[in-house]
This record gives sequence, C-alpha cells and structure tokens, in this order.
Amino acid sequence: MKRYDLIVVGAGPSGLSAAIEAAKYGLNVAVFDENTRPGGQLFKQVHKFFGSKEHKAKIRGFQIGQDLLAEAKALGVEVILNATVTGLFQDKEITVKIADAICHYKADSIIVATGAAENTVPFAGWTLPGVMGAGAAQTLMNLHGIKPGNKILMLGSGNVGLVVGYQLLQAGCELAALVDASPKVGGYGVHAAKLARAGVPFFLSHTIVQAKGNDHVTGVEIAQVDENWKVIPASKKYFEVDTICMAVGLSPMAQLINMAGAKMETNPQKGGCVPISNAYGETSLAGVFVAGDVAGVEEASSAMIEGHIAGVSAAAYLGFIGKEEQISRYKDLESSLCKLRQGMFSLENRGKVPSTTEEGYATANNLLYQGFCTEEEVLRFPGTTKQVGVHAVIECLQNIPCNPCQEACARHCIKIGEKITSLPSVDEEKTCSGCGMCVASCSGQAIFLVDESYADGYASVTMPYEFLPLPQVGEIGWALDRSGEAVCKTEVVQVKTSPVFDHTNLLTIKVPVDKAMSARFFKGGVFHAIHK
Amino acid sequence: MAKIADTIIIGGGIIGAATAYYLTLKGNKVIVLDKDDSVGNGGSSRNGGGVRQSGRDPRELPLVMYGIQHIWPHLSELLDADIEYMQAGNLRLGKTEEHLRILQALTDRSTSAGLDVQMIEAKQAKKICPELSDEVIGASWCPTDGHANPLLTTLAFYRKARALGARFITGEEVMGLNKIKGHVRQVITNHDLYEADHIIVAAGYESRKILESVGIDVPMTQIMLEALVTEAQPEMFDQMLGTAMADFYGHQTRHGSFVFGGSSGFETTNKDNGHPIAASITSSCICRGIMKYFPALQDVKIVRAWAGWADIAADGIPVISQVDEVPGLVVACGFTGHGFGAAPAVGKVVSQMITGEDLAVDMKAFRYDRFQAKI
Amino acid sequence: MQSINDRSRDIGDFFAEADDSVLICRCEEITKGEIRRAVHDGMFTLTEIRRYLRTGMGLCQGQSCGNLVKKIVAKELGVSANSLEPVFSRAPMRPVEMKILANERGV
Repeated sequence: MKRYDLIVVGAGPSGLSAAIEAAKYGLNVAVFDENTRPGGQLFKQVHKFFGSKEHKAKIRGFQIGQDLLAEAKALGVEVILNATVTGLFQDKEITVKIADAICHYKADSIIVATGAAENTVPFAGWTLPGVMGAGAAQTLMNLHGIKPGNKILMLGSGNVGLVVGYQLLQAGCELAALVDASPKVGGYGVHAAKLARAGVPFFLSHTIVQAKGNDHVTGVEIAQVDENWKVIPASKKYFEVDTICMAVGLSPMAQLINMAGAKMETNPQKGGCVPISNAYGETSLAGVFVAGDVAGVEEASSAMIEGHIAGVSAAAYLGFIGKEEQISRYKDLESSLCKLRQGMFSLENRGKVPSTTEEGYATANNLLYQGFCTEEEVLRFPGTTKQVGVHAVIECLQNIPCNPCQEACARHCIKIGEKITSLPSVDEEKTCSGCGMCVASCSGQAIFLVDESYADGYASVTMPYEFLPLPQVGEIGWALDRSGEAVCKTEVVQVKTSPVFDHTNLLTIKVPVDKAMSARFFKGGVFHAIHK
Repeated sequence: MAKIADTIIIGGGIIGAATAYYLTLKGNKVIVLDKDDSVGNGGSSRNGGGVRQSGRDPRELPLVMYGIQHIWPHLSELLDADIEYMQAGNLRLGKTEEHLRILQALTDRSTSAGLDVQMIEAKQAKKICPELSDEVIGASWCPTDGHANPLLTTLAFYRKARALGARFITGEEVMGLNKIKGHVRQVITNHDLYEADHIIVAAGYESRKILESVGIDVPMTQIMLEALVTEAQPEMFDQMLGTAMADFYGHQTRHGSFVFGGSSGFETTNKDNGHPIAASITSSCICRGIMKYFPALQDVKIVRAWAGWADIAADGIPVISQVDEVPGLVVACGFTGHGFGAAPAVGKVVSQMITGEDLAVDMKAFRYDRFQAKI
Repeated sequence: MQSINDRSRDIGDFFAEADDSVLICRCEEITKGEIRRAVHDGMFTLTEIRRYLRTGMGLCQGQSCGNLVKKIVAKELGVSANSLEPVFSRAPMRPVEMKILANERGV
C-alpha cells in the first residue's frame, strides 16, 4: 500500500495551506479532494478578502484558491482532485474513490480538512423547488454561470447572506428582501451597506412564515417577531419571489474524523459536532490533526492559518522539524491568527452590543440595526474629513480586521496602524491625488472620493462599481443614498477601469454640492425611484 | 425512584427488551439496565435481520420453530408497530458441486429435526428469484424462513414494555452481582445498587465479566461482523438470501434498501477503535461476493457500512438457562450471531423461567452447565 | 459520555403543534410531529430516533437534518441540544456503486 508522510483530506484553504507548510519541511504530501476544482469554498468566492496582506487581503477568493494550488504543486505536493475519501480507518489508512476504483493509501500523519456544510431552517413550504442554501446559489452562479432565480428573498444577515446577496445582484437577480430574525445585522456593516444603497430592503426582527407555490416557489410570507421570537400576525408581508436562499450558518462536516474514533464534542460556538482539538490541531488520535471549518466554523482567512499550524504539527510529529523551530513557527502563526480574531465580530465579542468602538466613537447604530449608516454617523467618524478638492471619505465604521486601504494610498493619506481592527482615518494634512486606488482596494467597497469643488454648485462622487454593463460617460440616471432612496438625478462623468483595480471599476457622478455626502450609488436606465 | 424490583434485566438489547415485555405483561415489576447510551446498541441493531430456521444447529430448531409458528406472524399486532416481518422463504445458493454438498449436509441436518427445507435445482431457484446469476446451479430452500427489521423490532419491544411500566435505565454499567443469604439479590453498578429476587444477565459478550462475580462462566469469544446498506431500489425480491460459502447473506427491506452481511475472513482478528468500526477491506470483499450471485446489483450504491461484535459461544449455540447454584439467576447470552430470529421466543421462555410456569419449549440443550471437556 | 438516563422519568405529555406536518428529514420524508411523537414513545437518544424513524439514514446520511432533529428532540426532552450524544458516522462518506467499491486498488 502506498504510504505518504502526510495525507491531507480536502484541498480547501486549510488543506492546501497545511500541505504547503508540511512540504516546506520536506514531507511527502498528498492532498485528496472530491471536487473538480481546488480551493474548497474559495473557488466560488468572487469578492475581495479582508484581513491584511499576510492574510491575502484584497485578493478575490477564487484567485487565492488558484494561487494556493500552484504553490502546493511547486513544492511537490500531489494534489488529486475528483478523489472522494470514502473512509478513514484504523492505522491511518484511507480509502479513496478515484474514477471507477476504490484505492487504499496510508500515511504517517493525516490532516482532516473537510470543511463545513450549510445549515437549513424548516418552515412551511421549505421543500418546494426554489428553496436553497445561499452557498448552493453561489455555486450555481459563480461556478456554473446559472442564475439561481429571478426574484429572490435572502434569509440571514450574516456575512454569507450579505455577500451572496450582493453577488445575486451582480448576477442580474432581483433581491426582494433580506430577512433576519435578529434585530441587528449579523455580518459586517460594510457588506450590508453595499446592499442597502443598491435598494435592497432589510427586514430585521422578521422570520419566514411560509413559502407559497404548488410545484415551485411563487411567493413567500414573512412576519415580524417579538422579543420572545413569536410571530406578530398583524405584521405579515408577502413577496412574489421564485427563490428563497437560506444563509443560516454552517456545520462542520466531521463525519470522517468521527468514524475514525476521535473524541467528539458538541460545541455550539464551533458550529456543532466537532472533534475535540487544541490550538495545534491535535485530536484524540495520535498523528491525526484537523484544521479549518471542520474544527470550528470560522472563515477562510483563519482556516489558512490553522492549516499552516496543522502542517507544523504533522512535521513535528514525524521529526521533520525540531522543537525550537516548531515553537517559533507556532508563535508567528498564532500571532497572525490573533490579529484576525479581534474586533467587533470576534468570538469573545459575539452577542455583545458595544456602545462605542475601541477608540471611543459611539457605535453607528443605524448601520447595526438598519443595514446602512446615516449621514450624521458618517460625519463623526475619522474616515470623514472636510477638505478642499478631492479627498477620500471612508465609511468603514466598525472595528474589523482589515487594512488594505492603508497600503493602497501612495501618499499615506489613510492610516490604520499596527492594530488592523482600528478604524481607518484620513489625514487632513496630506493631499489626495484622486487616483482612486483606495476606492478599488477596499474589499468592503466603503471608500468614496468626494470633491465638493468639482464644478460651480456641483460635487463629484467616485464610487466603487462592480456591476455589468458598465454605465457610459454621459449617461443620466439617479443618485441613490445609503438607504437606496433616490436623492437627485445625476450624470456619469467618468468611468475608470484598470488591471490594478482588479475588476473594481471607479464610477464618478456629478451631483449638486449639497448631495455630496448623501449620494452613494448610481442607478441608470429606466429606473423608478423607490418610495420607502 | 425505587431501586427494587421483581426482576432486574442486565442488557437492553432485544433479548432484554423482549423478556421485559413478557414479564411486564404478567404483572412483574421490571428494571432493565444497559451501560450504553441507547437501547439495542449491540448485536440487536447490528445483524442481518434474518428470521430463519435453516442453517442452524439442530439443537436450536425447536426454539426458533416455536417462535416462527407462534409469535412472529402476529408480532406487529402484539407490539402495535410494523416490524416489517416478511415470511417469503430462504434461498441458500451454490455455484459448484462442492457448494451443493455443503448445502445438502445443512439440509439433512435440519430435516431430521422436522424442518421443511429441501434442495432445489437452478431452474426452480431462478423462478423464485429471477435476478439470480446464471452461474447458480442449485440451492437449499426453506419456505417458512423470512426476515424482519431488527432496529424496529428491538425498539418496538422496548416501547411496549416501557409503556406497560417496565423501567429502562441506560448509561448504567453493571460491575457485578451479589448473593444475599444464598440467593442472588443485588446488582452493583458504577453509580448505584439495585435489588431484585430475579436477575437476568442478557448482556452479550459483557455477560461473562458480570457473571464472574457469582462464580459462573459462559465460554465465549467475540468476532467482528460487518454489513452494508444500499440506497432504496425498486422491489426486487422478498426472500432471505445466503450462499454455501457464506460470501454474503441478506435481504431487501420494506424501505427498498438492501442489507447485506458478509465477511473478509478476518472476523476473528478484526479490532475496533472504541466503537465497532468496519475494516477497510471488508465492504469491498462483500460487494465482490454479492456480484458473483447478483450481477444485476452492480450499479446500486452503497450508502453505509457498519460493524458489530457477535458473542460466539464455545459450541455455537447460546446459553439460555436458570442457574441452579445461583438461585434467582437466569443467563441468556452467547447468541453466536443468530440471536435475532430466536429473540421473541427467548423472551417468552425466559419470562416463564422467572415466573415458574411450564416452558413453551424444552430448553435443556441451552443449559449453562453443558460444557464438557472433549475427552 | 454515558450519563444515566432513566426512561421512565416524566417528560410531559405529547401535545400536537401547528407545525407538526413540516418535513424535517427530506431524504426519508419524516415530519416534525413524527419525531416529537417518537420521543414520547421512549426514544431519548439521537441514535434511537434514527433507528426508529430512519431520519439520517437516507442519501445524505443526516448532513441536512441532523441539527434540526437534535433541536426537536432536545426540546421535547427538556434538555439542552448540546447534551445529546452525537450519532456515530460510518464509511462510505458518499454513496458508492457496488462495482466501484468492489474494484480495489493498492491493497
């Protein structure tokens, strides 16, 4: 039987990272994945990642997947795709279904990086065709180029619901509503803001009552819930939709490590049934490690670091690196992981509603409870300054681990500092060149260039724009505010595209100067202003 | 709640649950203890569901025939639950003359004990089961054999017994028994102490350790058996199936999935990891065995493979017996991988042993003190 | 993680609820009401529920319904969902055709 030093199950961000780390120390590594493409969840992520450079910030998810695969292969890692690991047996033996055969392999160490799968929420009518997970919709759109539906309701305001909701808009679908039983937005404010200014209505403190239709979804009924999660009958609302997406969390796919006899636990903070593991990826089985979502649902950036950690653990277990090097490498990786696990959305802060940011600014509550910030909120944060001429306005009002904006500005106008969860601030003393790099580099699409002296009585607002078809210069349309309401008619005065912007276009519109701090989105063509 | 009962049953599998049912019907106050989290987590949920008389040691025939004639046909009614009992016969298949010789020997052994089993030709076998491979040259055929759902049957006995007032406690591991003034009386668990005039040990292989405390041994070993389950398929055949060389055995369930047991040849040395776990090679071996006889099933998908320990008695049949030198004690274990079909009858007879009634079947062959040296 | 579980303890009576007809296990088409009733029949563990009703025995082997069943059973028993013993997983991780499973390499 062929024996490797290390077998990794799963070629997602954690699995490939683990393979890369181990291969660097000289281990002979094989990675098996059941999919046709590498990268796990990454290969359908079309948005730019957060974090900092070491966490691959600013790079689009699918690109990270491809980069990891190339790096692994260059190090001599065997990556076998279309290979389903069907069992993890005793003595570190696996069986893998490859084409029409079951192949047996053994390894001296194993890393299980099988990720997590979507949760579901049952409601009357949930088995009708048209009800699907948000991840499933994402796979349809981003992998197979198929619209999941035409008119969609999204359940769940965590990052998955918000990000997939935006991608549904990009795919040309209409998002009728974004619903969550919680009174506040679960994911990053900047993700919510992208949807709100595009006109997507948020219904927080609401739940789905039933999906309607005979042989497929034709509509959905939602209603408000009280503080005991009970439906308020008088608040029922009906939407004509053909698709309902559920973004209600993930659960680890721990079946493989479970069958091998690892001690398991039910840990709600980690997403459900997980193998008992420590910070080094060790399980109760000697030589069998875990990394990524299977060990605890988090996200791709932390999964990658956990993969590296598990790779170090496997290498140390087999004597490929000494104790000193192991400890030093753990330290670096743990520090990198720590940077991600801070801020408003960190595990320790989950469920808390802070009254101020770390710096002491009063929390932007409208952003939290409505999905968009008010002009008043934006004005009191350090991302907004009063300057003559073009300058950046950064509408990033929460402590999240992210700093590509700081690196983007050649003139150092933007500052975050050592702690990457700090609020970005704009230095009034520096002069902006108007290049727009910061606008394109912000993964949250939260940076705008505003020039209040653009023309007599007019201001220009430059926004990140990722929709097709691109508006043309001279096109007349409506400027929408942060809540998606039309504030004035507007004209497109510039459309800038550049390879260095990586598919984030810069759209500049001309608005009356008193709308400079409210106009934040452009709707062209035949568009009827929404009345909220 | 009180820890005193009329009868304490150690082992919450089908034997324990069936006995609890029959006892509770008679007004006996019963406590059932099991160390596992779930009722029936041992052999009761890890067998092929066969309800058969053929292929058994002739000593077992009166007991199992009694069960098939008097209990199984109306068991669903009795338990208010559809346990999916199907009496459509048992085909044991052969492809070579040697196979047929083996089957003939099994047949003769049983006919002399009064069972209606006979050898049939390939043509007849194919008429009963058209999907058979053309390579089959003959079979043994027992029309009164059948199969049922072991998971449902075990839980149905449990449900009914519980509803009638039997008290089941899981998560209670029995460490030993105590005699008080010459009579077995106390059950010591790692949490507590229970007391009853009658104690039944029906804990599979673990019975052996428990019985040590009262100086009784049941000579048993353990082997690990495996089975696999397919996705649901359109109805193909109702019979219980097996082969002369034991390549596989199994049936199609009401649900439509097939349950097939089999072996790799390593059953006596297979190990587990804290749970009974399938070995990496067994399922593949079973599949090859099945396809030799049913090439039609080659595209059917396997969804699950499971393993379980069977308690193998030294002479191949269980101990089901009062223990004279430990008054009040009844032992029912060592079912050697074929306890399911006998279980309802065993439950009834053991309940009769407890209440002192006449036994429905002569149980001498199953006595605890039958084991003698070879010379 | 065995803890003592007295099956005669009082878990209250079964009362029908408005959403009892909602399907929970889609592979095997088991409803919420069936699961709730099974608890009152004495099925106090996820393993017993699975063997009794077939929830989690279909093609997806419980990936979709597992968490939902756990919540329903826990509520009926009046215990926290996290205290319920997880069910044991087995090979194969995905359904495999018999002829493929039979075709071994590298043993």
